Amino acid sequence: MSPAGCSHVNAYKVDNWRQNLRVIYQCFVWSGSAEARRRKAKSCICHMCGAHLNRLHSCLSCVFFGCFTKKHIHEHAKNKRHNLAIDLLYGGIYCFVCQDYIYDKEMEQIAKEEQRKAWKLQGTVFAFGYFSHTRVGEKYSTWEPTKRELELLRHNPKRRKITTNCTIGLRGLINLGNTCFMNCIVQALTHTPLLRDFFLSDRHKCEMQSNSCLVCEMSQLFQEFYSGHRWPHIPFRLLHLVWTHARHLAGYEQQDAHEFLIAALDVLHRHCKGDTARDDNGKKANNPNHCSCIIDQIFTGGLQSDVTCQVCHGVSTTIDPFWDISLDLPGSSTPFWPLSPGGDGSTVNGDSHLSGATTLTDCLRRFTRPEHLGSSAKIKCGGCHSYQESTKQLTMKKLPIVACFHLKRFEHSAKLRRKITTYVSFPLELDMTPFIASSKESRMNGQYQQTVEVLNNDNKYSLFAVVNHQGTLESGHYTSFIRQHKDQWFKCDDAIITKASIKDVLDSEGYYYYYYYYYYYYY
Amino acid sequence: MKMEDMSLSGLDNTKLEALAQDIYSDLVEDACLGLCFEVHRAVKQGYFFLDDTDQESMKDFEIVDQPGVDIFGQVYNQWKNKECVCPNCNRSIAASRFAPHLEKCLGMGRNSSRIANRRIASSNNMNNKSESDQEDNDDVNDNDWSYGSEKKAKKRKSDKNPNSPRRSKSVKHKNGELSNSVNADPYKYNYNTGINYETLGPDELRSLLTTQCGVISEHTKKMCTRSQRCPQHTDEQRRAVRVFLLGPSASSLPDADTMVESDCYDASDGQVLMSRLQWDGSSDISPSDSASSKASTNNSDSKKPKKKKKMSLGLNSTGGGGGSGSGGGSSSQTSLVGLSNRKKKPKLPVPPAPSIYDNLN
Repeated sequence: MSPAGCSHVNAYKVDNWRQNLRVIYQCFVWSGSAEARRRKAKSCICHMCGAHLNRLHSCLSCVFFGCFTKKHIHEHAKNKRHNLAIDLLYGGIYCFVCQDYIYDKEMEQIAKEEQRKAWKLQGTVFAFGYFSHTRVGEKYSTWEPTKRELELLRHNPKRRKITTNCTIGLRGLINLGNTCFMNCIVQALTHTPLLRDFFLSDRHKCEMQSNSCLVCEMSQLFQEFYSGHRWPHIPFRLLHLVWTHARHLAGYEQQDAHEFLIAALDVLHRHCKGDTARDDNGKKANNPNHCSCIIDQIFTGGLQSDVTCQVCHGVSTTIDPFWDISLDLPGSSTPFWPLSPGGDGSTVNGDSHLSGATTLTDCLRRFTRPEHLGSSAKIKCGGCHSYQESTKQLTMKKLPIVACFHLKRFEHSAKLRRKITTYVSFPLELDMTPFIASSKESRMNGQYQQTVEVLNNDNKYSLFAVVNHQGTLESGHYTSFIRQHKDQWFKCDDAIITKASIKDVLDSEGYYYYYYYYYYYYY
Repeated sequence: MKMEDMSLSGLDNTKLEALAQDIYSDLVEDACLGLCFEVHRAVKQGYFFLDDTDQESMKDFEIVDQPGVDIFGQVYNQWKNKECVCPNCNRSIAASRFAPHLEKCLGMGRNSSRIANRRIASSNNMNNKSESDQEDNDDVNDNDWSYGSEKKAKKRKSDKNPNSPRRSKSVKHKNGELSNSVNADPYKYNYNTGINYETLGPDELRSLLTTQCGVISEHTKKMCTRSQRCPQHTDEQRRAVRVFLLGPSASSLPDADTMVESDCYDASDGQVLMSRLQWDGSSDISPSDSASSKASTNNSDSKKPKKKKKMSLGLNSTGGGGGSGSGGGSSSQTSLVGLSNRKKKPKLPVPPAPSIYDNLN
């Protein structure tokens, strides 16, 4: 008997009460399918006044609907001595003797199960047209403490609440000797919303025998960041683990932040074996193409490469997974814009490459433009069975939840090695719709149009971290800007964290950008 | 109103408006009801208070936004003395030096294998002093940026112990410090079948070439380490190598005694002597004993007067001046000494000569 229940339910819990309760929930409370909803709408009216609303309740012991506001259900309860009724909107159980809603553990269990089933049914109806990464149908349930936990919490009243003006979640990192690149990547990862939620809710179950699991170390890192300590953290164990597991990275010389991120994600992915989601049968998903560890769920996207034969127009498509996109810049040795005339005249996202600074969308557009492979690179076409000239185009087949963009500022061509310092402006909100692999867009060859069917919110990405590099190719320093609490930005320079304005962020040179999918929300 | 009986098309705008308003207010009411239920449940289950925080904690964690301090209200740059424990060797290392230490500790750096090999060699041969020196090197260098300067700094420190085999190979920079130690090194490099001549300084080369054949192999580009009479190479080749390595008409014949006055023999004459020595057919030139002994003691005296005279002493094969035909080894030796004194150029100090010159006096 739960503390919030009452003794009067005992009278109800006889015979086949569970099944009855389930039926009531399925039909009249959580209506999953369209059919059930129609039935509910038609049949749920007050037996006395005929109203649909007014907080309709159903008697648990017999088939009677009565509205609450006009007290019709109360009358029924008094007359028939049926003490329990259920609210048809939210499923709460009301006891007329106690004159309050009660929360009985067993009944709540049934309610929760039925609700989950109904949500799953609803989910298939609302599947998004383009993206399958949102798992519609899984209802988000907030955490509730158990009795023991409640006791503990009551005995310890000092709390750390994360409000908007709070430093919790921010912490400096000591530079261990040219490790500013690592510090920037760590700051960005610890402020990735989904990753943070995963680790703070202790979702990692370690299956590695030794002490060298990098995911455990990440988990520890999050604990350090949210501990409220003010002095900077020394990430020496993290460095040791990354070097041990990614030998090619090791070495005291300065490293590239991008390389470090890829190596770190790779190691985390390998060590996440214990957390792969189990499907409904309880078996682990062992398919290497569909790893469902948290890293893959968050960072992995699919890049579609279409090679179109110029002769027969047959398209051969391959999809490669990616963790970030590396973009070329104007000012590099490779020509920035293709010489095709008139292609990019249209202004999408409010910017045009003809005037002013280059924007991130310009770079993305260049990345996804169809590229004519010259006569020296003829591809054997499957359709016409001969070597033909072709065009190749890269588009995003599957966008990751966190999209990372890397600007190739360090040029290592045969003639020179230098850093390209062109300013690239980047938006706070990025719409990725023009770059996805829909059949309409890919044929446009630069003429991008918004298709009306696409919901405008579907591909909106929001910036949350920027990594910058100051200095030259040989020696320089990495700093980062990260976002917390929607609109607060902070500059992270190794051990020094200071508040920054949005203007500071947008004016910075930019080297690596992290955007997350704004509309990934919990139901 | 029953749903079936209504047809929306029959209504005018105000009624539609009213209907829409009704639906809207119902939705809002339902939403509010949901919130009420949540709160009611939280209170009844007893976890409603969890959201409360005490005022102290709130003040503690407020963000500070002033110049000169970070968000925690701390001054910049006070974190210089942080230490951590290396997971590999369990020693306490300064945090800002952790990365270079770890690199060596794990054996991953560019120099790690070289250092490790030296350490193995030193623990086999000599004292353990050099090992401790090695570790200190790590923590001394504060230059974070360029690896090159770190290398240089390390060398400077390591030269303090000239007897240590850890001494670096490239001794070109260290003019004044080679007195004792070059002896050890050339023999050290005999571990391999050949020597890479590129890494040796002129002094080392000279000393090497006095004792070894030194001909550079076509395949491996290394110097032959056999004796001066090695059957695999001809004298011509040996001569050619010496010309190649030490300059035209050069020979690597260090003369320790003359170096005392910091006078150097002329390289060209040295080479002549070398060929002379080769004609004698052996590296330990016994006929020159008497001559060498004479030369070494008479150095200071015999320098000036002998200058011009000796210049004309053409030595055998190279025709350096009128051949005086002094066939005796002795005179050639003296002439060598004299000639070398003539130049008076400050040059690199030469390691103690091999035995042939000890007997010059």
